[in-house]
Amino acid sequence: MNQMTKFGLMLGIICLAATLVLAFTYEVTRPIIAAALYREEQEALKAIMPEADSFKPGAVGGIEYFEAMNGPALVGYCLKVTGSGYGGYMHIIVGIDTGGVIKGLRILQHMETPGLGSKINEIRLGESEPYFLKQFIGKNARTISVGNGIDAITGATISSKAVTDAINKTVTEFMEKMRQ
Amino acid sequence: MKMMGEFVKGLWRENPTFRIVLGLCPTLAVSTSVSNGIGMGVAATFVLVGSNIFVSLIRGIVPEKVRIPCFIVIIATFVTIVDLLMKAYAPALSRSLGMFVPLIVVNCMVLGRAEAFASKAPPFKSILDALGMGIGFTWALILISAIRESLGNGTILGITISRSFEPPLFMILAPGALLTIGILIALINYLTMKWKAK
Amino acid sequence: MDLSTYITIIISTIFINNFILSRFLGLCSFIGVSKNTLPSVSMGLAVTFVTTMASIITWLIYNYILLPYNLEYLRTLSFILVIASFVQFAEIVIQKKAPALYKVFGIYLPLITVNCAVFGAAVLNTDVFFLHGHAVPGSFMKSLIQGFGAGAGFTLAMFIMSGIRERLEYADVPRSMKDIPITFIIASLMSMAFLGFSGFKI
Repeated sequence: MNQMTKFGLMLGIICLAATLVLAFTYEVTRPIIAAALYREEQEALKAIMPEADSFKPGAVGGIEYFEAMNGPALVGYCLKVTGSGYGGYMHIIVGIDTGGVIKGLRILQHMETPGLGSKINEIRLGESEPYFLKQFIGKNARTISVGNGIDAITGATISSKAVTDAINKTVTEFMEKMRQ
Repeated sequence: MKMMGEFVKGLWRENPTFRIVLGLCPTLAVSTSVSNGIGMGVAATFVLVGSNIFVSLIRGIVPEKVRIPCFIVIIATFVTIVDLLMKAYAPALSRSLGMFVPLIVVNCMVLGRAEAFASKAPPFKSILDALGMGIGFTWALILISAIRESLGNGTILGITISRSFEPPLFMILAPGALLTIGILIALINYLTMKWKAK
Repeated sequence: MDLSTYITIIISTIFINNFILSRFLGLCSFIGVSKNTLPSVSMGLAVTFVTTMASIITWLIYNYILLPYNLEYLRTLSFILVIASFVQFAEIVIQKKAPALYKVFGIYLPLITVNCAVFGAAVLNTDVFFLHGHAVPGSFMKSLIQGFGAGAGFTLAMFIMSGIRERLEYADVPRSMKDIPITFIIASLMSMAFLGFSGFKI
């Protein structure tokens, strides 16, 4: 067997062993990762809409949402919003009532600059919720924009706009699609 | 015992960050907070130990010419394992460290130790070397992130330590990291030279 | 996809989020190689070439093999193998077809395999230009341009740093600061200067 084949075989065996180990690890951790994500989502939903006791998932026109129910009554909706920020995508869950007024929101994931853009999710000393997000509560999701109801964070205009515009766009689209 | 020398050298004399100056990319990028620093240090140590063991085990079998790709495969496997474990058991940390966990695979320190040490030494010595280097890397990370987080954010591990000054933002941003490590290495160089002169 | 998106990506990768001065990818070579201009620029060009090609190949693998078969966890392994093989292949080709160029690159060519900038660009492409397991519109071109921009930004930073370090040879640097510490401090100032580009948007 010549040299090249021997090298190739050696590398091939190691790659195969590696792939098997990884496939095994992946199968073992997959349910745990999924459970962690689910738990996080449920926790966010309950924090946004404390008056709801169950959430029914649904999707319309590419927008994923949850119907927030208190018993048999519909209290509002929780929408999954994806925004395009300064450093990459951000995943937000926003809770609205049936009229489109924001009841609560949470940023699950973002790739903004630490110290600057990441202030969109920063909790001040002594408080329990991010200060930037508090100003969204009670506002009409379809009319908010930076300068019109929402103040941007100094030095993080793009990140602030990304959050605001993403929520506005998604809720507007959602309410239109629901009307049909 | 001579064995302990293999472990201890990574902590100070041959500290991967401050003396050999390897594996800088993650060091500067994740040191924005002490919790990130600890997380990265632990993850990198895990990869170091794992890969050192296996590289040492196959050191007699693998032919010279393909050794680097083989080492890389072993390292990549451990990096993926630690990535998956983090996503499952510490998802917030995993998101915070972002793409720097996969980036451990190109951390010069990991491949450097595999190539320079584990490929020529028996498994037990390789484990000690990996542990020493890993812990040395971790404490270097903790030091740098402590400086950056306290000066740039007024906190350590998220706990506010001072409210009497407005933190200079640039410590958390890129220039602060480069400045911190430059001054730290200069300081350690200076101290080492002084102690050698004694 | 329109031109302004591509220009935004290029300007963003080279200036605003420069791979070395802002993302800290490629530091080891930055500190180690940037003493003189010729090796710095040669390494920069070599890195740009490898990053661009690697971006293409890794994108194809991610989009047509890893995602459809739910093998995302093999991303790290497959990407680094692609990069290592490509560097090896490039080395052989350059050695045969352009031996003079091979001599200039010297040992730096194999070193590109572990350059964080190359692997980082490939991983960044899949993080930023893929959403919920599907490619965003224009993802391929965007990845290609980001890969190229990564290398170009790397070359720019190397070039500037080598110019400064060559001048530094005539300065009286304190002994404990020589070589590495002073390079970091200069890099810190360069990084601060590049911060001035942030917030730029077309």
